[in-house]
Amino acid sequence: MAEETTVQEPLNPPQNAKRESFALVVGLAGWLVPGLGHALLKMWGRALICFLTVGVFVWVGAGMRGNLFTSRGNDAFDSLGYIADLGTGGFYWVAKSLETSGPDVSRADGDYGTRFLATAGVFNLLAALHAYEAARGRKA
Amino acid sequence: MTSPASATFAALALVALIAVKLTHLQALVIFALVVSAAFGFLGRRQPKERLKYILWTLLLFLLVGVGIGWAMYPFSR
Repeated sequence: MAEETTVQEPLNPPQNAKRESFALVVGLAGWLVPGLGHALLKMWGRALICFLTVGVFVWVGAGMRGNLFTSRGNDAFDSLGYIADLGTGGFYWVAKSLETSGPDVSRADGDYGTRFLATAGVFNLLAALHAYEAARGRKA
Repeated sequence: MTSPASATFAALALVALIAVKLTHLQALVIFALVVSAAFGFLGRRQPKERLKYILWTLLLFLLVGVGIGWAMYPFSR
């Protein structure tokens, strides 16, 4: 599982622009499908870990009937929760489809589930940013 | 004959039926384990460094979690 990101030599402007657009695609792909950004960079171990981490958190969070925030939030905390949940990318809809009975935060389980779902999103955003930086040639 | 899409949907529906029942400690341990492993793989390259980082982070997560739990105990009722 050895993954190396080589330190790149300075590029001329067209090459730089090309690399920048590739990095954006990598970042976006990593956000949409957890681990895809790293997979595009052939960092297989990290790709698998990202996918599994977000997958486990979403599955556990939805299984505990955590609250999956929507865009129709009542206050700033709901909006922040929505941003965190959206961080899971495509897994947001997976979580929605898993929660057939809807959220239940009247018990501690549901509250824990909400945190699991938010953590999945924030972690995926972090991973997508990591993949983006690696694609730009920064040490990762 | 089932298509891959319907098979996937059926699998998702089956998973949805399995409600996750965890105690507070189990939830804490799963959270700590998964986050430690993920941070270890993202942040460290060498296997030995990774393992050390994962174990250390896991231990700290558990210690701090249980510690805060006990610190709140006198005010819980």
